[in-house]
Amino acid sequence: MSLSKKNKFIITILIVFSVIGFTIYTYAMRPPTAIENKKIDFSGSSDELLLKIIDHTEEWQDKIVVVSGEVTNIDDKGIMLSSKIYCQLKQVTDLQKINSSNNISIKGRIIGYDDLLEELKLDQCIIK
Amino acid sequence: MKKIALILFLLISFSTFAQKYFTKTGNTQFKASVEAFEPVEATNKSTTAIININSGEIASLLFVKAFNFRVALMQEHFNENYMDSSTFPKATFKGSISNFNFSNISSTEKKHLLKGILTVRGVEKEIETLATFSKKENKLLMEASFGVKPEDFNIKIPKIVSSKIAGTINIFLAYEFIEKK
Repeated sequence: MSLSKKNKFIITILIVFSVIGFTIYTYAMRPPTAIENKKIDFSGSSDELLLKIIDHTEEWQDKIVVVSGEVTNIDDKGIMLSSKIYCQLKQVTDLQKINSSNNISIKGRIIGYDDLLEELKLDQCIIK
Repeated sequence: MKKIALILFLLISFSTFAQKYFTKTGNTQFKASVEAFEPVEATNKSTTAIININSGEIASLLFVKAFNFRVALMQEHFNENYMDSSTFPKATFKGSISNFNFSNISSTEKKHLLKGILTVRGVEKEIETLATFSKKENKLLMEASFGVKPEDFNIKIPKIVSSKIAGTINIFLAYEFIEKK
């Protein structure tokens, strides 16, 4: 099958446009970046973190931190670090890996300071 | 003297009896989808809520940035253009449940009127809806839904996207409270 010059041109244009369209679509519809691949903004112990951010928690919203501390409580969705930081786990199956009163290190996203319960809240937490 | 002591004892025991149930991981979902367009919806799985089971008072708090969308760009626009979440990081609700009697709640669902003030972007709005309560094991479950309008909270939706966002945004709550010790 031979195509005329004009038809070849039309087909090339169509292919180019569909590739561009597809690229734009995948860019626009991409899912949020997974916590595993996000850049860490702070890393340290739970006390260091609290000291650093407690007066201006708003600025620390959506920041990614790696924080270590003692597990003081475990519930069915997450864990309490040093009685002051609540870490909601990304996957609840990770709970089986944790023992109370152990020291652990967690990567998570700060969502804000909860003034009803007076604790700092992290979500999407993964155990390092 | 004995009587006074007894009354005092009773008063103290009643006042310390203000039992509370709470959750840190309540689900708050909103749906503003219009049929035939990309669904506009997100879930916040980190809502804090506290119920005083003696008085039926309820308080809850959520962080706007903790609403998770399936599409990253939508989440970005939601936070930056509509909710202005760096200036107004929190949304709160304070209210009460009418005729709430904790001992009457069982595994079968029961409806009570939930009334209170919802604060979003620093703007207050009165909310009134029926909430469903039930008990499961040692948890108190609450479910409710209500509708709000973007203009109630001074949220401007540009004309270009207004056809893709519903005029009334439905909010669904599902909280599992546990006893606060």
